[in-house]
Amino acid sequence: MTTQTETVDQIFDAASSSRHSGFVIRSVDIRRVYQMGDSETHALRGVTLDIERGEYMSIMGPSGSGKSTFFNMIGGLDKPTAGKVYIDQVDIAQLDPYELAWLRCRKVGYIFQSFNLIQVMSCLENVMLPMSFAGLDSEKARDKAMDILDKVGLGDRALHKPQEMSGGQQQRVAIARSLANSPDILLADEPTGNLDLRTGEEIIELFVKLRDDLGVTIITATHDLKMLRASDRVVWIDDGLITKVTTPDEMNIEISEIH
Amino acid sequence: MDQVGTQEKLPFSRAVQISIRSMKIRLGRSIVTLSGIVLGIAFLMSNLVSQLILDAVKEEREHRQTVGLMQAVFHSEVGSIAEKQITAVVYGEMKAAEKMFLDNLGGLTSGQIQIIRQGAALPETSDVMIVLGQDPRAAHSLAQLTAGLPDKLVLDALGTRDYSGDTPVDVRRELFFSEQTAERRAELAKERKEATFRTIWIVIISVFVTMISVSNALLMSVTERFREIGTMKCLGALSSFIRTLFLIESSLLGAAGSAVGVLIGILLPMVIYGFTYNFGVIAGSMDYPLLGLCAVVAVIIGTVLSVAAAIYPARVAANMVPADALRSTV
Repeated sequence: MTTQTETVDQIFDAASSSRHSGFVIRSVDIRRVYQMGDSETHALRGVTLDIERGEYMSIMGPSGSGKSTFFNMIGGLDKPTAGKVYIDQVDIAQLDPYELAWLRCRKVGYIFQSFNLIQVMSCLENVMLPMSFAGLDSEKARDKAMDILDKVGLGDRALHKPQEMSGGQQQRVAIARSLANSPDILLADEPTGNLDLRTGEEIIELFVKLRDDLGVTIITATHDLKMLRASDRVVWIDDGLITKVTTPDEMNIEISEIH
Repeated sequence: MDQVGTQEKLPFSRAVQISIRSMKIRLGRSIVTLSGIVLGIAFLMSNLVSQLILDAVKEEREHRQTVGLMQAVFHSEVGSIAEKQITAVVYGEMKAAEKMFLDNLGGLTSGQIQIIRQGAALPETSDVMIVLGQDPRAAHSLAQLTAGLPDKLVLDALGTRDYSGDTPVDVRRELFFSEQTAERRAELAKERKEATFRTIWIVIISVFVTMISVSNALLMSVTERFREIGTMKCLGALSSFIRTLFLIESSLLGAAGSAVGVLIGILLPMVIYGFTYNFGVIAGSMDYPLLGLCAVVAVIIGTVLSVAAAIYPARVAANMVPADALRSTV
């Protein structure tokens, strides 16, 4: 797969040249309270974090730590109860549903642990879907989607349905889909969680490639040590707060200390 | 810095394409939804068609009853009709039952019947005299009618006939067509009203049952697709697009289900009543324009109902927060 992904940048020449440096996502003291009947659950209790453009950041935390909530906030999937989230300097709380949809469609690419491909559509149509949401006409979308699928090594399986493919192949389709509208940000929630080691490594290589070649900001929630090592920064979240921000090197020491 | 644009709406044709595909793939679920509509509309339609068939057969049944009564009276008075000369005097137009009676009689005999219209001359002799027709003014007196008879036998189908010249003759006069008193008419009207009310009630119930079953099936379909809907929203789908998907799906299912339901609803009572009565009679006396109207109305009702039933599930789907949709592990 490495050889195939080397040329991903060719597709996104135009997109990458327009990228800027600076913070791509800023979160300022965000809080999220879930109302469950009479009881309130404080999923996030004031999280402030700036994410640099072109950064590969991993978020760590036990389940129930607020990790997924934070993830949803910075991806524009959910709005905070208090605090501000800026994506590309735009306060997402100010956006109406149409603008939010626009943002999700073009600015952010989502990759999920369970791939979340639309089962009723072929791989090609899955990749074309965000393009048609972006208003691209189907001829152009088809060509572009075929290009991206070729680059992730699935050009020959473009017309297969997701359920006919292996987990690794499905995740590659999902990555191709997340790249459909040349997003600035890739959000990946445990992307290697359902994959075997080798396939997981291929996905990580692909992420690193995307960051290096295209300057895509990659944010992953993961427990995968390999993923943590590949990232620039690791953010630890526990009980709705950021407990520490480390580099993979510091983390290796900690892990070896534990063992 | 970067501007945030506004997401365009996707063309309707694309939504139709996606809904049709998702119905095909989820064939099992679609069939459940479809069968809800089919059953509801078949029930509605079979009720309407049964009513139509009963209306069509009712007249025929009454005719047959009347003819049977006339024949019973005739045969009890006349006995064997072998070699008897029968004269039928007809004043005015005959009712269907009278025609049928006369035809039947003609079938039993061989050229023994002579039919005299209104003012025509009466035959010199005959063994049996029948008076038919709905004109209450008789052109002959009873004396004239019974003059050539060895027995003084007259069967009159209209009891209120006014004979000129009033000769007391022993005549059998049966009141076949004037027996509907005001009381009886009121009773019939009441029965009819009750039947109509019953039909309306059944129609309303069937309509609600259909709607609830479709709504339920679509809600299930929304739950089943939580993840898919959430994913679509993450990819930039507008809420209105999700809503459109469900409304298209339900309207297509509604139209197809209603069409099948109408077909079943017509054929089933036809077959059932066809055995009880007669296919020919039903087919011959059916009110076809009314049947067509019922079919069209049933298809419209079915389609509108399933779209109405989809409004709530579609709203549930459209208002879903994408993060919630992804969290669910259905």
